[in-house]
Amino acid sequence: MNLNDIEVKSVTRRFEDTVAVDNVSMNVARGELFGLLGPNGAGKSTLTKMLCGMINPTSGTIKVGGYNIQDHPMKVKELLGVVPQDIVLYDYMNARENLAFFGKLYGLSGGKLRNRIEELLIFTQLDEKAVKRRISTYSGGMKRRINIAAALLHEPQVILLDEPTAGLDPKNKLALWEIIRTLNKEGKTIMLTTHMMDEAEELCNQVAIMDKGKIIALGSPRQLTKKVKMENTITILPDKITSKLMEATQKISGVKSSYRAYDESEKIETLKIITERAEDILPDLVSAISSVGTKILSVELSRVTLEDVFISLTGRSLREEEEQV
Amino acid sequence: MKLKRTIHQVFAIAKTDFLGITRNKTAIFFTLLFPLFFLIIIGFTFGTQGTGETSRIHVGTVNFDGEMIVVNNTDSQNSTIGDDFVQALKDANFTVYEYSTYGDKDTNGTAAYDISRGQIKIAIVIPANFTEALSYQYTDSLGTPIPTKASLDLYTDPSDPTGSLIAQQSVFGFIFGFIDHYQSIVIGQLPESFRDYAKVLADPVTVSTSEADVSGRQLRWIDYMVPGTLGLVLLWSGLNHASVAIADERAKGTFQRMIIAPVSSITVLAGKFVSCLAIVYLSAVIMLATGVLLFQVNLYWNIPAIVLTVFLGALSAIGLGLVISSLAKNVQAADAITHLITVPLQFFIGAFFPLSIMPEPAQIFGEALPFTKLVYAMQGIMTKNLPFEAVIPEILYMTISGLILFTLGIIAYRLSLKRL
Ligand SMILES: Nc1ncnc2c1ncn2[C@@H]1O[C@H](COP(=O)(O)OP(=O)(O)O)[C@@H](O)[C@H]1O
Ligand SMILES: [Mg+2]
Repeated sequence: MNLNDIEVKSVTRRFEDTVAVDNVSMNVARGELFGLLGPNGAGKSTLTKMLCGMINPTSGTIKVGGYNIQDHPMKVKELLGVVPQDIVLYDYMNARENLAFFGKLYGLSGGKLRNRIEELLIFTQLDEKAVKRRISTYSGGMKRRINIAAALLHEPQVILLDEPTAGLDPKNKLALWEIIRTLNKEGKTIMLTTHMMDEAEELCNQVAIMDKGKIIALGSPRQLTKKVKMENTITILPDKITSKLMEATQKISGVKSSYRAYDESEKIETLKIITERAEDILPDLVSAISSVGTKILSVELSRVTLEDVFISLTGRSLREEEEQV
Repeated sequence: MKLKRTIHQVFAIAKTDFLGITRNKTAIFFTLLFPLFFLIIIGFTFGTQGTGETSRIHVGTVNFDGEMIVVNNTDSQNSTIGDDFVQALKDANFTVYEYSTYGDKDTNGTAAYDISRGQIKIAIVIPANFTEALSYQYTDSLGTPIPTKASLDLYTDPSDPTGSLIAQQSVFGFIFGFIDHYQSIVIGQLPESFRDYAKVLADPVTVSTSEADVSGRQLRWIDYMVPGTLGLVLLWSGLNHASVAIADERAKGTFQRMIIAPVSSITVLAGKFVSCLAIVYLSAVIMLATGVLLFQVNLYWNIPAIVLTVFLGALSAIGLGLVISSLAKNVQAADAITHLITVPLQFFIGAFFPLSIMPEPAQIFGEALPFTKLVYAMQGIMTKNLPFEAVIPEILYMTISGLILFTLGIIAYRLSLKRL
């Protein structure tokens, strides 16, 4: 269990005047499903590119499977399966031809190559008809799956996926998560990058949060959310909001503040309660509301998410960053 | 084991690259069919002209030789040599139209009329005394022959200078041949002791081409052009493809994906090189086959020499392409730079037009290009049937230029790896 498949030590990478990766150190243990979460421009792709030897670090050392990538680049490349952020396939060839090409690059040939291709076509659930058409005719989800299959032909121990679900609809996203989970269950060490907190939270057992080239938090999603002392919000939809109701809720101990909020999309007015102990004050809150003669139509408790962790650490949201880019 | 694996990788990369061309209509057009297109257009326009292809030259004859004239105060009506002359023109495969009068451009059925209508490019008027003059029938009162020249009048079409020039030169060639033949007959009739002097006197300068003209063996333009198109092949199939081969994959990310596989960057380069070579040879075969099938060119097939020469030329083309491909910002830039080079360059390599008709600076520039050397070497070997030794200077030039450009290509390529 102390075996680390990826070891990154004080790695920095500069492009002219930008520091894309800034003195990053982190390990990924064998068998882990590791997520690198951060907004666009955080340096995730740059770190991934250094891990697979596409670009060199300006300083620092990287080991994959125990091999220093500078000293044993070919060894590291054999161990790694890399799924690039964009779909990188030859669109004038069909799925089988693409897989055969990438398989040959990894030294597979003959019957072994053919078997692996068939296995992966089954694994990625591409039907026989689609396999014979050129990649240019495939849907986004199909392309993504072949894009992943191309990295798996040589049965790598360590798999790097750069934003594997970016741009996919929910159905295809869930299907891809399932593929990633299956690979992890087979014993593969997986590191993926994402800017979607739900992906990191639900898929990964270790998460590093990256921002502006630095890793600002590292741990399991549970550890990370616990670390942050968060104010929770309880959203209540009452049948009517009166000043008596507002006074009553503010008197409850543990409530930091309460206010009326208009929900644009639902076209309703709600009551929001800010507190640090949502579960503890809920019974008092319910009795206080009924005591002023108001009925509760619905109650919603917000949970602490990795998004909240990111906000508490940086003061910005993951999404905002994305929209600016 | 490792070598075998590398070779597998090289061929996988080459095959993928090759499919990228053959499965893409635009790429097929620009890398394979564009030079062909040129060959066909220019070949049909000018290619089959040339002094040897006499049947395309329409010649009018106005033979007055049979007319009655007065020689030595007696009527003479001998047309033997004039008729021979016309017959020889026909035998030399000219397309001959015979007229009874030169006439004028407004009188239908005359030679002048047909020149003005473009029916014939040249008219030859044979005088009435043609046979009499050539057979020494003019004598003084003592019976001593009075040397009398037979004079032919040639009329050409001024509205078509090129066509006229070609027709005129072919006819000149024919006439020289005819004169030569006549001289040897006359000299044969002289007393033995005079013959050698007379031979020199008759032919102080021997012009051997005239003989070739008459025999119809002289080469046509197309016979030079088809081997010359191999120079175009280098530009359009070699340079053009090499220049986008890497830029394109870099833009799509497939290049990066190859590099992150356990494949050395030199293996990728080798794969690209093999594919570029395959495209060059494929294009060369298409070009030569078209020449043979469409224009019936008659070439000499020294295959090893052709393969070697094309390889050396391809080194320069692919090397230059690599430089462009590696340094260009993106595919569009690589494409633009290549076209900027290829389009003008194709006129300086002597593929369509001999460099000798160009202004001197253009000639110097053209001569410096390795592609021109390829054109010369190929025309030497395939058209003129020169032995390989005769084109060694060109081969050496191409080898040196190929090594330099290819080395520059590798350096540029290695630099570009730093910019992924
Ligand atoms: N080739 C490059 N040249 C210059 N700057 C780059 C290059 N690649 C990435 N960067 C910069 O490095 C930073 C990190 O980029 P990247 O690693 O792609 O982020 P992410 O994958 O997290 O979105 C960005 O500011 C980006 O502009
Ligand atoms: Mg990225």
